[in-house]
Amino acid sequence: MRIALYVTCLVDLMRPAVAFAALRLLEATGNDVIVPPAQTCCGQPAWSSGNRPLAATLAQKAIAELEGYDAVVVPSGSCAEQIVKVYPQLFADDPLWGPRARALAGRTYELTAFLAEVAGLDAVPGEFAGSVTYHDSCKGLRGLGIKAQPRALLARVKGLSLQEMGECEECCGFGGAFAENYADISARIVDRKCDSIAAAGADAVVGGDLGCLLNIEGRLRRRGDEKTRVLHVAEVLAGEVKA
Amino acid sequence: MKAGHSQAMFFQSRAAEKVRNPVLQKALQKAKPLFSGKRAKSMAALPDDGLEFEQLRDACAGIRDRALADLDVWLEIFEDNARARGAEVLWARDGDEICKLVIDVAQRHGVRKVTKSKSMLSEEAQLNEALAAAGIEPVETDLGEYIIQLAGEAPSHIIAPAVHKSLEEVEALFAKTHGRPQEARTSADIPALTREARGVLRQHFLSADMGISGANFLIAESGTAALVTNEGNGRMVTTLPTLHVVITGIEKVVPTLEDFATLMRLLPRSATGQTISNYVSLLTGTRSEEEVEGPTKTVFILVDNGRASLVGSAYQEMLRCIRCGACMNHCPVYFSLGGHAYGWVYPGPMGSVLTPLYTGIENALDLPNASTGCRQCSSVCPVRIPLPDLMHGLREEQHERGLRPWGERLGLRAWAWLATRPVLYRALTRLAARYLNWLADGCGRIRIFGFAPGWTAARDLPVAGNRTFFEQYAARKRD
Repeated sequence: MRIALYVTCLVDLMRPAVAFAALRLLEATGNDVIVPPAQTCCGQPAWSSGNRPLAATLAQKAIAELEGYDAVVVPSGSCAEQIVKVYPQLFADDPLWGPRARALAGRTYELTAFLAEVAGLDAVPGEFAGSVTYHDSCKGLRGLGIKAQPRALLARVKGLSLQEMGECEECCGFGGAFAENYADISARIVDRKCDSIAAAGADAVVGGDLGCLLNIEGRLRRRGDEKTRVLHVAEVLAGEVKA
Repeated sequence: MKAGHSQAMFFQSRAAEKVRNPVLQKALQKAKPLFSGKRAKSMAALPDDGLEFEQLRDACAGIRDRALADLDVWLEIFEDNARARGAEVLWARDGDEICKLVIDVAQRHGVRKVTKSKSMLSEEAQLNEALAAAGIEPVETDLGEYIIQLAGEAPSHIIAPAVHKSLEEVEALFAKTHGRPQEARTSADIPALTREARGVLRQHFLSADMGISGANFLIAESGTAALVTNEGNGRMVTTLPTLHVVITGIEKVVPTLEDFATLMRLLPRSATGQTISNYVSLLTGTRSEEEVEGPTKTVFILVDNGRASLVGSAYQEMLRCIRCGACMNHCPVYFSLGGHAYGWVYPGPMGSVLTPLYTGIENALDLPNASTGCRQCSSVCPVRIPLPDLMHGLREEQHERGLRPWGERLGLRAWAWLATRPVLYRALTRLAARYLNWLADGCGRIRIFGFAPGWTAARDLPVAGNRTFFEQYAARKRD
């Protein structure tokens, strides 16, 4: 199987280690993994702000460069949801792009869903001597049903124990441009998330979406929590972090 | 449709004030787990009654869609059946017409005092102000509504109107209004405070000349108004005065009693986590000769106020709404602000859709955008309203009508221009990574960032290094 890794613009710029971890995990499945070189952004910011034409332009670019693979894997529930759910919606009545968008949507997976359900990865390379608590990101959870997959994979990480936080399905307040445009509200929401994390008392908070993780890490540090690590699930599974 | 009394354009400044109000924040923190916890518990118990949530919401959405598909027909059937049982049926185009019709009825019957059971339509019309101006005293009798009427405020939640009020605030209001010294109160005193309000309200119930209520549903086949309440005040309002006025939206009609029964499986569970509310009243027509209680005159005022224009539009699904409040009870934005920040009658996700639709998209620009897109609202909605998608539709309309800020439009266009030119994009992101790393100054985070002042007002921006993934990946491949 030829798998394309869709890095996402946020991982490319803000935390490359996530993409390297995803690469390592995908290679561990025994498939050919390719990083399509011209990929940039899936267009979600344009879509979220109501700019359908721009979202469609970026979607067409992504469809053209991702449709030649057996599977496309995204280390983000949010960007995966954009491709799986929004692209077919964008081109619902388009005789040319509609079928291409739907075909791509059918072959695109969030990373943990791919590893757990498609590749059936039994052993993961990661080791983590400590406890983690898992934050369910909204688009992955309610958009794609990502809930059991990361937990099943984390359970295979040697030394790791899962310490669930209260209200782990609550939004962290990121919401893309929301965090900037409605900063007061976003800050209030992420504060509640940080309270839940603090109450869980785990060594690390783990999630599948870098946007949420940057939001949570930024607020934890600003609150003076220098101890709780904030990690992408790919980093933990791939053993890209030392406990 | 005119904006009327909407303050939705001041959402941002109100939000800034609400997140910094410690009394409000404490009240919201206390209410949040109660709302979501009670609902979750009652939904988890559905299988004990042989019911299943997803099937039930399919059924409920189907009932609402069936009613809305032939709304005019069901309304006419309702009207005929209500008239046959002795009720009068009037139609109001907007809030002003509601006020005019109510005051007209009241004046024809020499009404001086009106007791009211909760009605959000009356808020849309600002009916209390209009009644007072006409020399008629309106008395809110739902405990929460009574509290906020004393405070001179609007409801901040559609089923828990005074959820933003603290015990201390209520005690102060009661002491002042009921003419007694203020005391130190704990939550153990809530029953005593409730009894106090009850004592005052009892006098009003007995002396009112007219009762005004809303209706949770209008049942077409029998001409019945269904009223779902918990305090018993609804019964007092609708049966003690000889004159009863029901004000409700035209979308509230359902075809049959059977439909109503199905909707009742989810309405109380979604709203308060109750299997059924303390009182369920089916009010049909006027007092017959064999009956000893009930009004001798019943008037239905069925209101459009923007609803008819949604029929057949991209937003018709919004008319399914049965006003349970579950969307706001599970909304992270609502629980950061409370309802008043939204600026009009309806708060939370349903308000973020209804306010722009009923008062003008250009008069509520923030509401559809002030959402994280978390979809918690649509995951609990008992009639499957795709609230986030409807908010998204409103965002698209804002964009199409050129109502988005120029900075955002320009920024997005520049971003998309760059993102469709991968070579240039790689070069600029390489520069951006270095710039961010330089700003982070070796400590792995940026504390003040001019390009995202909102972000760094409350949080740091973590920075991982000075090279993008694609830069590092290309280097690795060369090795």
